[in-house]
Amino acid sequence: MAHATVLIDANNFYASCEAALDASVLGLPLVVLSNNDGCVVSRSAEARALGIPMGAPWFQLRQQLERHGVIVRSSNYSLYADMSQRLMASLEEWVEELEIYSVDEAFGRLSRPGANGGAGGDLSVWGQALRSRVRRHLGLSVAVGIAPTKVLAKVANRIAKQHPGHRESGVFDLGAVPDPDPWLEEIAVEEVWGIGRRLSRWCRLRGIATARALRDMPPGELRRRCGVVGLRLQHELAGSSCLPLQSAPAPKRETCVSRSFSTPVDSLPALREAVATYLSRAAEKLRSQQQRAGAVTVFVRSSPFNGTSFYSNAATVTLPLASNDTAVLLAAALPLTERLFRPHKPLQKAGVLLQDLQPDTLLQQHLLVPSPVEQQQRRAALLATVDHLNRRYGSGTVQWAACGLQPRWRMRRSRLSRAATTRLADVPLARAY
Amino acid sequence: MTADPADPADLAAHVDLADLLIRHPASTLLLRVCGESMAGAGIRHGDLLVVDRAIRPRRGHIVVARLEDGFTVKRLERRGDQWCLRAAHPAYPELPLDGNAQLWGVVLHAIRQP
Repeated sequence: MAHATVLIDANNFYASCEAALDASVLGLPLVVLSNNDGCVVSRSAEARALGIPMGAPWFQLRQQLERHGVIVRSSNYSLYADMSQRLMASLEEWVEELEIYSVDEAFGRLSRPGANGGAGGDLSVWGQALRSRVRRHLGLSVAVGIAPTKVLAKVANRIAKQHPGHRESGVFDLGAVPDPDPWLEEIAVEEVWGIGRRLSRWCRLRGIATARALRDMPPGELRRRCGVVGLRLQHELAGSSCLPLQSAPAPKRETCVSRSFSTPVDSLPALREAVATYLSRAAEKLRSQQQRAGAVTVFVRSSPFNGTSFYSNAATVTLPLASNDTAVLLAAALPLTERLFRPHKPLQKAGVLLQDLQPDTLLQQHLLVPSPVEQQQRRAALLATVDHLNRRYGSGTVQWAACGLQPRWRMRRSRLSRAATTRLADVPLARAY
Repeated sequence: MTADPADPADLAAHVDLADLLIRHPASTLLLRVCGESMAGAGIRHGDLLVVDRAIRPRRGHIVVARLEDGFTVKRLERRGDQWCLRAAHPAYPELPLDGNAQLWGVVLHAIRQP
């Protein structure tokens, strides 16, 4: 039996999550802002219809948004992460194999019924059923692109979202059309998944403007330019699958936490608090990934726009013994802030990067850093309790004193919605009056 | 006498409360009740509702509906050929199920702190 690849992604994911659990915004235009309430990063269909541009800074749009009664929300990452998990868990029931590609996007593999060597049965009806199920169960709207390969599934998804004849249904099965060529001609070469800016520019210079032209260009030329990567793209466009689904994510090799400050940081104590906060968050991530870090990098930079000369710097410390213990990482990394801080360079952003990640199971001993197993286990139990409390009662419930209490630099999220799915105190109300 | 160690009943795991209360984890949400209009159905002010959006609402189900200005909990009923939402308290009027009210989920449990 032939296989089909499907790409499912949520439309306006952040904006849809905001509306899914808040009855008061149903049918109203809504936008979600990026970190520090900077730019519009997601728009509901109603906001899109008003012509509110994506990526525009909030301060420029403020009046226009108010005039149209647009609801404005800060990014509520815990809500989006929870809705993403729910979405992926329900998609898993619909396919034989699922690759979670991003927070709102997944590839799936399934069998194409009635395929006897030929094109096989149309999966559009299946896609419709999936779509209406996800809408009913989660309140999210998804687009479904179906095709023989991942690259073509991306193409089909784009058609499902944008083509006037399919936008309404939100589903397109490129594997069921008699001739895919006219469809591939409508896709600009830049829109082919995985092509990259340089390769697409090279294609344009050669007169290759569409996905179809890319598929049909002489393979030798493409191989000389970009080796096996280009040939794989060509094969995928021709319908033979050579990019397998990655259903088990590769272990992370780095973990990064960085944020822009709401107000510039111009004192060493404030920088220390910020770095301590990001480091605790990164260490928590590390523990949930069951990893330890062998090295910590702290990086800082000033604003590129403030007129004074731009300052950007980083410093790294290597740990004698890989760790995911917040206290150990703080002790190693906080001194770096003294090396990075410059009195007359107000900082706009800082971050920590945990590197040389290794599995937590590799309990190693170090000759110079004695660490009895019993003590390690006690620390692990303490950290697990801290993580549990923060998960249960909200991030920051238990934190290291180095993080500070009411920091001035904390990310601005003036329009944050409630943690309706992750905090008991925030669950929506059901009226019985 | 000791129990037969192979008796599967002895090997069973403890009862998992989440398992007992939640059928479809991905589409189950918690809502807090505000008001006493469902007291007649055993749902009181402050109860935590376990709401499953994957179950198709039927006549007689206690449901959560989404109105223009918020969620409401009611019993789904039929009057002639018109679906309606009815409170479990005589003082509250019946709501017709029309374009302004969308069935949102089915209430499976109400959890109360005594």
